[in-house]
Amino acid sequence: MRVIRYILLALVILPALALIAFGPRAGESLPPGRVVVEYWEKWTGPEEQQMRQIVDAFNATVGREKGIFVRYVSTSAINQKTLVATAAGAPPDIAGLWDSNIVPYAAEDALEPLEDLAAAHGIGPATYKKAYWDACHYDGHLYALISTPGIVALLYNRLAFEQSAADLRAAGLDPDRPPRTLQELDRYAEALTKRDASGRVLRSGYFPLEPGWYVPYTWMWFGGDVWDARSGKLTLTDPKVVAAFDWIAGYTRRLGAGAANEFRGGLGNFDSPQNGFLVNYVLMEQQGPWMANYIGNLRPDLQQLKWPRDVEMTKPVAERRQNYSWAVAPFPSAAPEVHDVTYATFDALVVPRGARHKREAFEFIAYVNRPDVMEKLCMLHCKNSPLATVSREFLDRHPNPYIGVFEELAGSPNARGVPQIPIWPQIFDELTSIGQEMSLGKGDAATALARAQGRLQASLDNFRDKQRQRRGQGGSISAATRGAVN
Amino acid sequence: MPAISARGREALKGYAFIAPWLVGFCTFTLIPIGLSLYYSFCDYSLLQRPVFRGLENYRTLASDGVFWKAMGNTFYYAALSLPLCAVAALSAALLLNAKVRGQAVYRTIVFLPSIVPAVASAMLWLWLFNPKLGLINFALGLLGVSEQPGWLGSERWAMPALVLISIWGAGNTVVIYLAGLQDVPRELYEAAELDGAGALRRVWHVTLPMLSPVIFFNLIMAMIGAMQVFVLPLIMTQGGPARSTYFFTYYLYDNAFVYLKMGYASAMAWVQLLIVLALTALAFWTSKRWVHHSAA
Amino acid sequence: MVTLDVMARNAEQRAARTPGTAPAASAMSPAPPAAPVAHRRARRWKPIFIHLALLVICAGALVPFLWMVSTSFKTLDNAMRFPPQVIPRPFVPQNYLDVLQNQRLHFLLWARNSLVIAALVVAGTTLSSAIVAYGFARLRFPGRGVLFGVMLATMMIPFPVTMVSLFSLFRWMGDHTGVQWLGTFKPLWVPAWFGSAFSIFLLRQFFMTIPTELSEAARIDGCGELGIFFRVVLPLSKPALTVVALFAFMGVWNDFLGPLVYLQRPEQFTLALGLQNFQSQLGGTPWHQLMAASVLVILPVLLLFFVGQRAFVQGISTTGMKG
Repeated sequence: MRVIRYILLALVILPALALIAFGPRAGESLPPGRVVVEYWEKWTGPEEQQMRQIVDAFNATVGREKGIFVRYVSTSAINQKTLVATAAGAPPDIAGLWDSNIVPYAAEDALEPLEDLAAAHGIGPATYKKAYWDACHYDGHLYALISTPGIVALLYNRLAFEQSAADLRAAGLDPDRPPRTLQELDRYAEALTKRDASGRVLRSGYFPLEPGWYVPYTWMWFGGDVWDARSGKLTLTDPKVVAAFDWIAGYTRRLGAGAANEFRGGLGNFDSPQNGFLVNYVLMEQQGPWMANYIGNLRPDLQQLKWPRDVEMTKPVAERRQNYSWAVAPFPSAAPEVHDVTYATFDALVVPRGARHKREAFEFIAYVNRPDVMEKLCMLHCKNSPLATVSREFLDRHPNPYIGVFEELAGSPNARGVPQIPIWPQIFDELTSIGQEMSLGKGDAATALARAQGRLQASLDNFRDKQRQRRGQGGSISAATRGAVN
Repeated sequence: MPAISARGREALKGYAFIAPWLVGFCTFTLIPIGLSLYYSFCDYSLLQRPVFRGLENYRTLASDGVFWKAMGNTFYYAALSLPLCAVAALSAALLLNAKVRGQAVYRTIVFLPSIVPAVASAMLWLWLFNPKLGLINFALGLLGVSEQPGWLGSERWAMPALVLISIWGAGNTVVIYLAGLQDVPRELYEAAELDGAGALRRVWHVTLPMLSPVIFFNLIMAMIGAMQVFVLPLIMTQGGPARSTYFFTYYLYDNAFVYLKMGYASAMAWVQLLIVLALTALAFWTSKRWVHHSAA
Repeated sequence: MVTLDVMARNAEQRAARTPGTAPAASAMSPAPPAAPVAHRRARRWKPIFIHLALLVICAGALVPFLWMVSTSFKTLDNAMRFPPQVIPRPFVPQNYLDVLQNQRLHFLLWARNSLVIAALVVAGTTLSSAIVAYGFARLRFPGRGVLFGVMLATMMIPFPVTMVSLFSLFRWMGDHTGVQWLGTFKPLWVPAWFGSAFSIFLLRQFFMTIPTELSEAARIDGCGELGIFFRVVLPLSKPALTVVALFAFMGVWNDFLGPLVYLQRPEQFTLALGLQNFQSQLGGTPWHQLMAASVLVILPVLLLFFVGQRAFVQGISTTGMKG
């Protein structure tokens, strides 16, 4: 027994010592004589690799010419790391944050304004689609450019529509097209929902919490807003916002709270072949263009109805789309006066305050925003483009054959970026929680929103007081408000 | 050496021996904690200079519904997890202390869950708890349970699910109980057995009193642990559904790093520290009644 | 010196009641010589009941882990299949090689980083905590009780509270001492060399059980305080030191938040932090490889515990968790 113990001990300790003595060491050869630009990015996995291609290309071309070397670091919890490093005065030169970080960070003067550098590189309002360009600004300054964007549309199961044609027709609906208004979407959803004899939901036409990422933005499709930029007052109790959350509660009411919760519990993890959309449990959902990548990875059979991938890619887009069991359309809105409503989200490239190589950092940011580079990256990531125009090639050869729909939506006058409220992250969490309450059939939207309004308005007033004190300005309209009006 | 008395010399030596800790304490604990106390009276976003605001953060906390919700959740978790973990760990320790073959293997297996990295165990349990696809409801189905819980997606069951994971990972506690059992003098059992006490009564009358200091120690460690639960809900539920698994430390973390309210978060941290200290004091005070101090 | 040796040997036996010399007491199987017949019959069944109960407990502890191991040998498709496969078919040990060789993951490099940090932390914690614990246990000085209480209270401070101030502190030290801290391993291991509250507490409890006559004898032999510490107390404290070292090792091996905050480049990551890099933002988490990597991370700790479990349990026991 004793011998075995010593052998086991040796088995642990000897390799450990060997590893310490002879193991690989962190060594990195940086090209001499070049300015090293530190770039922290949130991606891991394939996205990280794809961005690395872009970084390598930059280092080999523009970087070499201008004496710049981008050192690319991928890390989890990017916003926390950037925040702590910036606060301590040792930030990276470029940080790949989320769009929702821009305004809160900018309001704390933690980001470098980029408008002069952008202008020098010929990047201006005409470069981007408007929703994206606006969301990169705060208080009249440009604080970020985009690495890759996203845009939200209606993803629907075209094949299931065909298979349920009789049910849809019986409900007076056209199985050959997606719904065009939100009221219609509700009717489609009801007609497509299947229950068993005991009332258990087997399949739901639509289910607000699958995947539920955009629940806090639902008011956009109701033509509402969560704040009045001019007065700086939150408007969470606005009838349109209330209607939006009540709409979510409506699904639980119609399915029955018990049945709805049981159904939700049975949905597989998003990133798995048991994903609700992929197994036909949910037939319509809010999604971005990247979903084509997921489906291709997890259930390739859903997008190879006619041809293998390489054959498909040789065909025109209209034909390519027949290869797919799913399709994409603008997510319908509740109000007839607004159509093509969408939430335009993106991954931001920012230069944190105190970065040592702002100018060189911007060289790389500008490089990513070159039309050819941006299109290459967005195709790799399976996303749309933030740039005002895209090439024919991009539309025809994109891995998502519906990229044209996404592109048009992104250019719509009703595409809206993340609300430019300095305390948006708090509001986002609160609205997420209210969305979950509604879906659990707990309480009513008006009460929950009124409660949130009180709490969050106090927090916002507090923030604005502080900011006013700091900037030494009088008056009730804070800098935050002016930024949003711009 | 006439200048310094023997006692003085011993004191000097004493300070010299604890000097490493004193230095480390002042640099790595006292300065940061002092700063955090100062921040708790400030409006501080991390990114800009703190602005002194007096007791404002503490006043806001008092009327912050989310704070109270998180506090309630944390106490609810502690109330479920502390006794259940104690009973489970103690029973396991009693069994693992029995003289049967293969204890090394049994002990290792019971200890195993406590060394699984948090990320991996969160992923594992996400699978296991899936109501339709997971192993747990599958097993419940085999046992004939028709009303199966929705676990992490359900307001009622999400917390018990986390408690279950905490019991699974209590291997550390088991080991400490096991160690405590080594100290129970054999003669006491023999005396009890001669008095005709059965196994259960021996546990109740001999083991538990003799083990009470260890139970007490574990209870305090578990209380501190419960106040700091954070990684599992972060990865598994993001505090949901409807904030039913939103914990104290999670809200503290959100305030500090997501909402950019470091001052507010520091105030929370100090409230947390005071609560833990108060609970520990309470535990010490009640311990006089039930913790057995052997003369040895 | 002869007296000293004899006394030391006696004390060693008293301090570490090794199972060889005195069998561990058990609530389940005390064995008085003259037991009634009924008891004897019950005794025959008892081990079987105990085994059954232990098997049930172990099954509960083991199933999630077995799933992890089984997944680590599956193809990605099978890893995500439902109903799940119990035995991987096809069986893919290749996953482990993939993890070790993956260019992006630097698994061996991370393992080396983890080991280097762990070695420094374990050595630092054990040595410095022992020195400090000796001071608290054996020397009288004004304020000892208060300082000891303060030290215990520091166990209750949550890391997020001090995290940011510490970060600024390390940066300040980098700027003003010429030794860079941020982006190096120093923030992770240097504080360990100033003692850890939990270890100091354990060791102090243990040192209090060592008879003072030993130190007196050594003093008469001309030993100074340091001599007593190194030549008398430390050699007697092996079980307690083992426990402290093991606890320190487990703590640092799985530490996630510290490395996350202080390490900046992937080449510096530790294993616990690197595991996070398996998750992907936009789909395609390689579950099979994540699980294979996790098994590799757990394995050394598991072997250590298996080998040392008895000494470990004995060691904790002798530190006397008596508050």
